[in-house]
Amino acid sequence: MENIALKASGITKYFYDPVKMQVLKDINMEVIKGEFVSIVGKSGCGKSTLLYILSTMDTDYEGTLTINGENTTGQSLNNLARIRNESIGFVFQFHYLLPDFSCLKNVMIPALRLGKLSPKEIEAAAYEKLKMFGVEDQALKKAGKLSGGQQQRVAIARALINNPAIIMGDEPTGNLDSKNTGIVFDLFMQLSKEYGQTLITVTHDEDFAKRSDRIIEMADGEIKRIAGNNGNKSQNNK
Amino acid sequence: MKISVNTEIALTYLSSRKKQTVVASMGVMFGISMFIFMQSLMKGTNDYFEKMSFTNTPHIRIFNENKVADNHMLRSFINDQSEKILTNPKQLAQSPGITNPYGIIDQIRRNPKIAAVTPQVTGNVIYTSGSVELPGNVAGVEIDEEDKMFDVQTNMISGNLHDLNRVHNSILIGKGIAEKLSLHTGDNLTVRAGNGNMLVMRVVGVFSTTVKQLDETKSYANISTVQSLAGKDRSYVTEIKVNLVNYNDAPAVARDLETITGYKSEDWVKANEQLKAAFKVRAIILNSVIGVILLVAGFGIYNILNMTIYEKIKEIAILKAQGFSGRAVTSIFLQQAIYIGLMGGIIGLIVGFSLTFMVSRIYIGAGTLKYLPMSFHPPHYIQALTFGIITTIAAGFFPARKASKVDPVTIIRG
Ligand SMILES: Nc1ncnc2c1ncn2[C@@H]1O[C@H](COP(=O)(O)OP(=O)(O)OP(=O)(O)O)[C@@H](O)[C@H]1O
Ligand SMILES: [Mg+2]
Repeated sequence: MENIALKASGITKYFYDPVKMQVLKDINMEVIKGEFVSIVGKSGCGKSTLLYILSTMDTDYEGTLTINGENTTGQSLNNLARIRNESIGFVFQFHYLLPDFSCLKNVMIPALRLGKLSPKEIEAAAYEKLKMFGVEDQALKKAGKLSGGQQQRVAIARALINNPAIIMGDEPTGNLDSKNTGIVFDLFMQLSKEYGQTLITVTHDEDFAKRSDRIIEMADGEIKRIAGNNGNKSQNNK
Repeated sequence: MKISVNTEIALTYLSSRKKQTVVASMGVMFGISMFIFMQSLMKGTNDYFEKMSFTNTPHIRIFNENKVADNHMLRSFINDQSEKILTNPKQLAQSPGITNPYGIIDQIRRNPKIAAVTPQVTGNVIYTSGSVELPGNVAGVEIDEEDKMFDVQTNMISGNLHDLNRVHNSILIGKGIAEKLSLHTGDNLTVRAGNGNMLVMRVVGVFSTTVKQLDETKSYANISTVQSLAGKDRSYVTEIKVNLVNYNDAPAVARDLETITGYKSEDWVKANEQLKAAFKVRAIILNSVIGVILLVAGFGIYNILNMTIYEKIKEIAILKAQGFSGRAVTSIFLQQAIYIGLMGGIIGLIVGFSLTFMVSRIYIGAGTLKYLPMSFHPPHYIQALTFGIITTIAAGFFPARKASKVDPVTIIRG
């Protein structure tokens, strides 16, 4: 199925410290290209843990993960780094920028790493992304000097810079006011509908979740319910 | 020129912690400049002492040495098939002279490695003036050749060395002899050889070397004068002195001369074994000091990079999350080490050179040593930079590898 962006089968994860504890229990899910999926659930139910596995950063799990038709389970760390650089944009729960670099550089770095465009072109693209989130006036400031919400928007801009096939966000709007949350949501929607980019976001914002294509509800490390909104593109995997 | 992201990040980290960067590169600078300074000083003084030793010893001396009796000699007396057993062999006195010295001299002059050859007759004598007697030795030389080889002229404190050729039965004496026998240029001196021959000689000059023991025993006379004092003919020569174009060839050339002439030929390295031993000891001391300095500089870099990594661990995790591979992270941190090393290294070269230059201008004025002998030897600078860079890379390697192993999830989860 070449229109599957991401497929997880039988993902199971344990933490051993301080006691053995199963955080994820046989998670099976598929996300179609261009789909905008929300993951919701109570705090501590394993949403972030799942997202780290889906992003290929965490390799310590059971089960298999396929991204854009490529099996990523068991691949070398260097290969996974390349896949992340090329096809995954990640917004962390606590927006992590590099404080010694300007906002502009922060956004540019993943693209410089990828090396597909010239530094000039990358700079222009980075400016454009900052503009979309209304932080272009902060471009040359050191990232460490921005407010929480500004930093989060720069972090989202950074996740988009390489036009990744999949964008993952761990509460990407957690620090934003309703106006900026609206901007981010509309942009995400546009990315998914117009550019066919796939979005997987963890959120506590019910409103945000309801407006996305599909809601995956987790509880105690399991998928409790999958609900399609507006009937569009909804899939059931159980 | 397009600089890579890794380089850009490495440079940003270096410039955002300027103080630590400067301190770390100062360590390298110190190590490298000390390396250069000490090496220059050591090579300079070694070269100086080597040259000094050539003011009274030739690069190679050819002479006749007493031999221990062996079967080979025995066979020349009883030449039959019998087995000969030699018990308790003794030293055999050889005639002290060299047979056919001028033939040998002509022969070895042809070797292009040889710059000068001169014969000498040495005789043990007793100098007598009034009732005072003083043992010593007189070197019968061709004074012009001798002067070319050993620059006798610079040692002259009174008189004229060329008078040796002009004045019959003349002699140049060391300063110590002159003092002990209270002699001056123009005075007469009685010289008695071991065979009882006596000669009254005219002092035409006094010389002073830096070696007191030489000044108290040595004198120069014309080779023919000493030959007749010894009661020998004109072909009597006790040693042949050879100087080479490059004195480092001496051991090899000496071996050749020994096989060609059949006489013992001793190179300056053998004659100055204690000098060479001193060089070795000094080299060991010096290399340990430099080793310690570079080690300390290395630890400085190691420490600073470790601290940086500890502080930047979250950022390393973010870089990895965005697709920087372990290799890219290693490169970022190793590059920081290399830039610290390069910066410290280049400044170290300049400082090392300046220090060497300044010290070479310090006036010493002891004996013939006017200024501290410092050598300006380009390989020292290349070596210093190489060692510096190797140290930095070695010091940066372990922190960089540690950084590359950071697990992004553990760090980002907090
Ligand atoms: N490194 C760890 N070692 C042990 N247990 C952990 C570790 N990280 C997370 N956990 C546990 O795993 C469970 C899932 O954590 P996770 O961070 O995935 O929750 P979450 O759903 O993202 O919560 P939130 O909405 O608060 O972000 C929690 O019970 C947490 O305590
Ligand atoms: Mg979470």
